[in-house]
Amino acid sequence: MRSRYREVRARNESAWLLPNDGRRTDHRLRQDMRRFADDDELDLVIVGCGAGGSVLLQRLARAGWRVAALDAGPFWDPDADWVSDEAGSHHLYWTEPRVIAGSDPVPLGSNNSGRGVGGSMVHYAGYTPRFHPSDFMTATLDGVGADWPVSYSELRPYYEAIEAELPVAGEHWPWGDPHGYPHRPHPVGGNGEIFLRGARKLGITAKVGPVAIPNGRFGNRPHCIYRGFCLQGCKVNAKASPLITHVPDALAHGAEVRPDAMVTRVAVDEHTGLATGVHYVRDGRERFQKARMVAVAGYSIETPRLLLNSASPRFPDGLCNEFDQVGRYLMVQGAPQTAGRFDAEVRMYKAPPPEVSTEEFYETDPARGAKRGFSVQTVSPLPITWAEHVSAQGHWGHALREYMSDYVHWSCLGALCEFLALPENRVTLAEEKDSHGLPVARFSYSQCDNDRALAKAAQGVMEDILRAAGADEVITIQRYAHLVGGARMAADERHGVVDRNCRSFAVPNLYITDGSVLPTQGSANPALTIMAVAARAADQLASGSAASA
Amino acid sequence: MTGRFPGFDVLGQAPHWDQVTRDLIEARVRTSPQAVPFFSAEERACARALLNDLTGQDRDAPVPVLEMVEARLAAGETDGWRYADMPEDGQAWRDTLGYLDADAQDRCGTSFAEAAEQDRHRLVQDVQERSGEDWHGLPAKHVWSLWTRYACTALYAHPDAWAEMGFPGPAYPRGYKNTGVDKLEPYEVRDADPSIDPVRKGD
Repeated sequence: MRSRYREVRARNESAWLLPNDGRRTDHRLRQDMRRFADDDELDLVIVGCGAGGSVLLQRLARAGWRVAALDAGPFWDPDADWVSDEAGSHHLYWTEPRVIAGSDPVPLGSNNSGRGVGGSMVHYAGYTPRFHPSDFMTATLDGVGADWPVSYSELRPYYEAIEAELPVAGEHWPWGDPHGYPHRPHPVGGNGEIFLRGARKLGITAKVGPVAIPNGRFGNRPHCIYRGFCLQGCKVNAKASPLITHVPDALAHGAEVRPDAMVTRVAVDEHTGLATGVHYVRDGRERFQKARMVAVAGYSIETPRLLLNSASPRFPDGLCNEFDQVGRYLMVQGAPQTAGRFDAEVRMYKAPPPEVSTEEFYETDPARGAKRGFSVQTVSPLPITWAEHVSAQGHWGHALREYMSDYVHWSCLGALCEFLALPENRVTLAEEKDSHGLPVARFSYSQCDNDRALAKAAQGVMEDILRAAGADEVITIQRYAHLVGGARMAADERHGVVDRNCRSFAVPNLYITDGSVLPTQGSANPALTIMAVAARAADQLASGSAASA
Repeated sequence: MTGRFPGFDVLGQAPHWDQVTRDLIEARVRTSPQAVPFFSAEERACARALLNDLTGQDRDAPVPVLEMVEARLAAGETDGWRYADMPEDGQAWRDTLGYLDADAQDRCGTSFAEAAEQDRHRLVQDVQERSGEDWHGLPAKHVWSLWTRYACTALYAHPDAWAEMGFPGPAYPRGYKNTGVDKLEPYEVRDADPSIDPVRKGD
């Protein structure tokens, strides 16, 4: 068994650096962490320690760079900071003020916005599918969205590397670029059973996975205990997040993680036009970290906001925004959630919410009358999120209580519909200020006809699957899932903010390495792709091909 | 309604929970009234009546939904966003409680809290049914979203609410051993009447 992991352990030892005495945090590693001074010029300072920032940090620490990641939130200790409870996990989400607008406003917070070291992967479900090759060329294939300046085949080795590091469990994957996974699929709970049963009856192919929870012990990470609280932060250290998959190895190789440090602006020298470091607030004090290069990895809302808040005489409309591209093409997936009622007890809260998926409807189907497609996955809402689903049917008071008392009989599926990237769906600055006196983000979002057609088709498929499995009633709530885009990569500065290596067009030593650079989103959960893109950018930087600033 | 899971005891399993979670849930169950004031006396009376109506509780509510909501508002613990056409959550609560009282005065000649149950329900229903329209200058569906989000989050954080739906609550470090359709842990209790389907009944 040990030799099986020799290769991955040699390049990322995170899972073996965690304690194996029942505690979940390597306190000694954090105490002994290297700490840089503000006036110590780093090779690279990273803003945000989530999926993108952590991978970049770990890769460049391994390459010998003097590198630190500043995160606005805490350096989590799963033992002390996380609970096995929905309401008590409120602090895992980014809950600083934000304004949502447009004809179809997108709720943020618990839905899609993480806080602290590990980022949104602390509270993501754990699904880690790859994008399909078609996602990288939707303009060419379907006349919608955009073509990436990077191809699937260029990203594939990074997908494989990250899948081994998380690691991912699942059946052989027949869709997109067919591939296997390093770990065998997990056993499924009631919700997964229902999905597989309904799909089988309809002749729809459904597969178990892909989930970033090792099936078995991995390093010092224990086996999953199937307690169903994946979205509340994994107290077991079973579900992968950068807090346990990349940060420990980064620290062991001389990187610093500086938590509770809110970056307020990126500094740029007015004469050279180069970034010189970042202004940040820590313990109520304004500070400045010097660096030779800066990478922003604050995700799709905070990254554009930081760039816009970093306006200067040289960049009066915001950093990297000469062509009005910052904040635009922000995408969310349409995520209608359909539940079915069974006389049997499904008890969907038992077992991880991510269990089974189908990508059979992922690609454009001319019969649907819409471009692109959707995937369907198990989701298993706990009581508070289930109440949202039930109250969306219009129930309140005694009727709500009665419907809710029926919880154990329901099975719940969620779709991820590829809503298209549109220029007017964007982040701008609101009038309102946060506690640091900085304008907060205003996110405006409106759907197009193609989006609505996909959501309707996805709902129909989920209703069919649940009825085929024996449901006597189905109820649906319209939701959104995930965020990507807002500072997308493109072939040139008129169409995006960064180039194929995540280097900004405007400032040669400024990088963006998070979900905001994705030009399309497919119908896949974005975490794996965000990590793979960051790993590729890190390779380019480490090999010097992009570090000539 | 309490009879669906006879003998099911959520808090009886607390010794199996990790200490951090256990401390949190036990503190939640002990929530003391007005520990953290946010509302004025008038607002509080209105909020108590509204939240109890929304969560199907009578006046001596077993789940202290008002206290839980008020503590959240006092701490500024929002969901991390607000609609552009709504004030920030605390102000939105104060404003909408005022409008509800004004509606009650107009139609019943009393405050909302003092109105008869039937009248209160009609006033609340009216806001819900205005879905696509404004209510006192605010989009009614965003007001409804604010009220129900806070109410449901508080109610379904409470072990009493879990007990009536058969949900055992925290599950660390024990986890589950018997997953799958119709598979129960020894401490879970089977639904006494699985054919009670409120959806079917509601049609």
